Amino acid sequence: MFRMPCQPRKGWQQLAGEFGFHFHTMYGEPYWDERAYYQFTLAQIEKDIEDPTAELHQMCLAVVDDVVNSEQLLTRFSIPKAHWGLVKDSWRNRDPSLYSRLDLVYSGKGPAKLLENNADTPTSLYESGFWQWLWLEQQVNAGVLARNADQFNSLQEKLVFRFGEIAQHYQLNQMHFSCCKDTEEDRGTVQYLQDCAREAGIQSDFVFIEDIGLADTGVFTDLADAPITDCFKLYPWEFILREEFGDSLADAKVNWLEPAWKSIISNKALLPLLWQKFKGHPNLLPAYFADDIPHNIHHKAPHNAMHGGKWVKKPLFSREGANISLIENGKESELSPGPYGEEGFIVQAFHPLPVFDGNHTLIGSWLVDDMPAGISVREDSNAITQDLSRYLPHIIL
Amino acid sequence: MTNSNKSHAAQDAMTDNQSSGSATSRKRSSGINLSRMRKSYALKPLAIGIASVFLSACGEEKQDAQIYTSLEDCKRDFPDAVERCDAAYKTATEEAMRTSPRFNSEYDCEYEFGANQCRTVNTNSGSVFMPFMAGFMVSQLLSPNRYYSQPLYTSYSPYSSYRSRWVTADGNVFSGDIRKRNYKVGSDTLKPKPTVNRTMKRGGFGSSVRAKSSWGSSSRKGSWGG
Repeated sequence: MFRMPCQPRKGWQQLAGEFGFHFHTMYGEPYWDERAYYQFTLAQIEKDIEDPTAELHQMCLAVVDDVVNSEQLLTRFSIPKAHWGLVKDSWRNRDPSLYSRLDLVYSGKGPAKLLENNADTPTSLYESGFWQWLWLEQQVNAGVLARNADQFNSLQEKLVFRFGEIAQHYQLNQMHFSCCKDTEEDRGTVQYLQDCAREAGIQSDFVFIEDIGLADTGVFTDLADAPITDCFKLYPWEFILREEFGDSLADAKVNWLEPAWKSIISNKALLPLLWQKFKGHPNLLPAYFADDIPHNIHHKAPHNAMHGGKWVKKPLFSREGANISLIENGKESELSPGPYGEEGFIVQAFHPLPVFDGNHTLIGSWLVDDMPAGISVREDSNAITQDLSRYLPHIIL
Repeated sequence: MTNSNKSHAAQDAMTDNQSSGSATSRKRSSGINLSRMRKSYALKPLAIGIASVFLSACGEEKQDAQIYTSLEDCKRDFPDAVERCDAAYKTATEEAMRTSPRFNSEYDCEYEFGANQCRTVNTNSGSVFMPFMAGFMVSQLLSPNRYYSQPLYTSYSPYSSYRSRWVTADGNVFSGDIRKRNYKVGSDTLKPKPTVNRTMKRGGFGSSVRAKSSWGSSSRKGSWGG
């Protein structure tokens, strides 16, 4: 695994416009960055990323099964009691999932370590599944990259196939797609999924999360008052379950993507549970509930589980690295502020991201349902909080 | 269409055909149809409603249908099949509950259907106002297979295009005034109408975003994905 400077394609910004990729630059900072790429060997991809991704996913599913069967754990995961039935039913009915992204720390050697599981609302999908694919095709055709250069990226193919399976499962030929207003990135991600669904023969209708209505018949409606029966939502379950319309979820009987059981797998309480169940697994970092063993991190007890050292403290629910603290030899320092944390925190052993040319590099490893489907590489100037990430393409050679 | 589109097509074909690596062991998607991934238009975020367009199918077989304004009228016509009339009437009232036009306010309902022509119905999410069923249309009542029955409405409002005419739950207006009781209708007219969802409230999702989006430290503060 190494980082290779590379000539950007001429006029790629215009091409991005033609393909509807409007968020390649965000808040005045480059987001899509093709001035360099990452190169992996096939063995690194298959043995160090693909296989562990499949295995980690199965381990996560095993934890979900434990949680839905334990009131104590459902409480620990801050799933509102009123919705336990919804979450359990979605799991017991095996409601199909679409996709997720595991964030991995990987330097090219040694086992990749799971940082967290974005199983509910992962973004950077379009730039992974389509845009970096197009970059590779064009750079190969231009002679910039070797003809036998490949990429770990079967995302689009698998998404289309998976939409076909989901259509079969729910006997549907139409779905709604939804995300929040005022975010081009989320809208772009959802548009991409609509494109994939269309390739699978599904007609899509779009409605913003804020515009969803509740009808006298108990169903959710779009702006044309059409009922929402099957819906992909790029909106976190932890919000949905706590908002006003959350009370109407049971009656509305929507087949959601992602399904409600993803509220468990996307929760950071998953991390201590994984460590408890699979302690010492090479792809896991030690993790605990922060309130389980507070003295272990805040005082250097001689025989604690954590031996002082460096720990990262994260809220159960958080987005974009908000409310992260670093605990070093018992001392806590805030790395990022934010609105999260009232539901509790977990701590995870600090494992530094590898540094390439001064950039901290994070691997996002995608799954479509339970199949590993590709990676995304993001770089940040910050070691932990990933505040100004840039997306770089990758190749296998 | 334009020259630039032509060159896109050529480029798309090239990109699709000249894929690198061997097709069997590739780790990436094999065929992405680039022309289908192009967005020649800006994103259109608003849902475009599916307009209900009613076109009478030409040359279609039509069948006789009768309109009754009371159960007794029906029984008078079919003294040997009064139980059929009971069933047809029951079907129509149930369909009215499911498919009737509905309004958020009594004023709106009366504006369309006339004074004292509306009733209140309480639902999970509040009260709605629906016009009273003014009649029911039956067809093939004596058929051993399937008879048709559906509710009809009429308006007493001077502001309404339905005034003194028969109208179905989905707004199909019959020719002639309400004294006309026998029609020849197509199968579309007799089909059960879709359930009407009257949206009572919007904005019940998204409040967490308003509460949390003031935290602007992140460069990707707009996104609620991860």
